Amino acid sequence: MRLRRHFDHDDSTGIDLAPMLDFVLNLLIFFIITAVFVKEVGMTVSRHGGGAGGPATGKETGSISVVVKQSGEVLVDNREVDVRAVRANVERLHAQKPDWGVMVTTEQNAETGLLVQVIDQVRQGGVENVSFGTSSR
Amino acid sequence: MRSRRHTSHSGDEHGIDLAPMLDFVLNLLIFFIITTSFVREAGITVNRQEAATASHDDSGNILIAIRSNGEVWMDRRQVDLREVRPIIERLHIERPEDTVVVIADKAAKSGLLAQVMDEVTLGGVKEVAIGAASVGGE
Repeated sequence: MRLRRHFDHDDSTGIDLAPMLDFVLNLLIFFIITAVFVKEVGMTVSRHGGGAGGPATGKETGSISVVVKQSGEVLVDNREVDVRAVRANVERLHAQKPDWGVMVTTEQNAETGLLVQVIDQVRQGGVENVSFGTSSR
Repeated sequence: MRSRRHTSHSGDEHGIDLAPMLDFVLNLLIFFIITTSFVREAGITVNRQEAATASHDDSGNILIAIRSNGEVWMDRRQVDLREVRPIIERLHIERPEDTVVVIADKAAKSGLLAQVMDEVTLGGVKEVAIGAASVGGE
């Protein structure tokens, strides 16, 4: 019945848009509900040592060594420095060897917070090629 | 002109002209389709370390959280360390362009972080980021 009544007016209005609108509204509601506006912040690092990732830097190019100990000490190039001084030290070494990457090695029980701070400092020092590994102990 | 023709012919039957509303709704729909990203959330919040160089990673949408007591969470449930690799393998097959962000608590052991990152790499995802908080907010 309804269809026939519609047909009478087809000359002027064309297709009836109401069912399409219903469908599109349903789709819209679905996407609004499932939308997640999360943007993760993070720092991409490569791995060295361990089983999976190979060494980040080849043999021919060396790397600046940064060691994070579980006691909270940080060693840059085998010299103990404060966490906030890592940036300055890395900047200096990076100026001497511009093509070297940085290898951050942590002890198994070192805290992640300190590790993230150190990697952050290294990246602030201008080195993007950071790799991360744990010492076997 | 057009609206007058509409009202004279079919206004009594159909009421409002739905076409402009449909245009608007379609635009909204396209916006939400584009911005939706289907992030696999870890399901818990951890106390993360702030970092000044942390950058927004658009494609980082598999999240793995490590709590300070050594629990590993992904996809809203706690998983064993040995489960991480098969889960990552499955997700990597479904959407190969996904990358992983490992969010570790400040007090978590970095040895566990390294193990989780190894499992993710073995699962086939080559790009792994360590999650951090941007300085001053969020």
